Amino acid sequence: MTWIRYTLPAAAIVSAAAPAYAVQYLSIGEAQKNAFPSAHFTEVQAGRVWKAEAGGKVEGFFIFDRVIGKHLYIDYAVALTPGGAVHKVEILQYRESYGGEVRSPSWLAQFVGKTSGSALKINGDIRNISGATLSSTHVTEGVKRILAAYANRLR
Amino acid sequence: MPIACDSIRRARPLLGTFVEIEVATAAGPGTEAAIDAAFAAIAEAHRLMSFHERDSDVSHLNRNAGIRPTRVHAWTFQVLEAAVEMHRRSRGIFDVTVAPVLQVMGLLPGLDSDPVIVPERRVTDAIELSPERTVRFRSPAITIDLGGIAKGFAVDRGIEVLRGFDIPRGLINAGGDLRVFGQEPHMIHVRDPRDPSRSIGQVELGDGALASSARRFDLVDGVEPGSSAVIDPRTQRPAGSIDGATVRAPSCMIADALTKVVMISGVGAGDLLAHYGASALLTSVDGEMQITSDWPQAVHRAA
Repeated sequence: MTWIRYTLPAAAIVSAAAPAYAVQYLSIGEAQKNAFPSAHFTEVQAGRVWKAEAGGKVEGFFIFDRVIGKHLYIDYAVALTPGGAVHKVEILQYRESYGGEVRSPSWLAQFVGKTSGSALKINGDIRNISGATLSSTHVTEGVKRILAAYANRLR
Repeated sequence: MPIACDSIRRARPLLGTFVEIEVATAAGPGTEAAIDAAFAAIAEAHRLMSFHERDSDVSHLNRNAGIRPTRVHAWTFQVLEAAVEMHRRSRGIFDVTVAPVLQVMGLLPGLDSDPVIVPERRVTDAIELSPERTVRFRSPAITIDLGGIAKGFAVDRGIEVLRGFDIPRGLINAGGDLRVFGQEPHMIHVRDPRDPSRSIGQVELGDGALASSARRFDLVDGVEPGSSAVIDPRTQRPAGSIDGATVRAPSCMIADALTKVVMISGVGAGDLLAHYGASALLTSVDGEMQITSDWPQAVHRAA
């Protein structure tokens, strides 16, 4: 196999100098419906915890949370069984930025009202990326925190 | 490239990273079920081959296989077979037994409370595979970590599930190790290993896999265990001369494993890549980039 020296094409530098990448996967409502398809939801804690019921029976709980890091801002949801076990963990929104805007309200405002499935075309059309693996440790820790905080309390 | 609303995308935290599944919406009403089943297959591969979970096959092997033959799940056995073959073909460069070095570096947790022992000398043929899916280690001091190959395998299993549901086109991306299938190609950006906000090029991928390794960088904060540290088994030190490697191969398992070899061997991995029908892009620490002559370029080569 022969190797060829490769220089970064100017076009790639211009089009891909994207300091931000974001995807909206699911809205809270869609994620609720996916987790408990036939249930109706009662808010237990505003904007954060819902009880899912169907036919007068508790089907489980739905908890919304987010992880904010230096470059990452991730909304995710944990669906719990009535017994307090994890039923499903879904990422709702994934946002990644290197410009330091992750915590800025104006940067975040552009995501409000987006419907699911829309890859937000921030700085172009970057949609699929191969690169060094990004750790999901913080979300995993978040799920553990949620279990510790709610699993017993909600039953 | 299709526009966003033509597809359904879902993401879950699995394999220590974010696993994203994207399928064409034209796939019909069974689509959500197919995605759920693909995630379940990936979670199953994770459960079997996690270094961290006490009840995984890998943990069972690390506790027992140095003492007695230990039976594993067919998937674990398949990954071990591929790992052993890659070890042999790469002349020891690909090595799933470097786990003790990672433990000493604090990148993997210790086993129970025992002190970590790094074997003085590397054992050749450390892993013995027998029919009936039994595994033996040549020494109780051997500890394996399939982190350098199992993630790709998990992606392959997920793809297999989607195809079984007659999904016409899809993609599974496990934090940068990805595989696609279907008529219409997917455009993939390769992240600059030295500046994660930049792309160093695009690859058009119709059927096949792309995996990347890089020196560690972290999008959240601080040091994270389990990141992509690549250890050179000859020196037992982190690989030094390459900043990042991206490999295209027919399967994600092979692409995943080959990135580790390219991170260590650099252009020396050429013959191995050719054997596996793979191609690669590598970035040296001095910033120089090289591609194999068959790199599937949507981008341009230097003159």
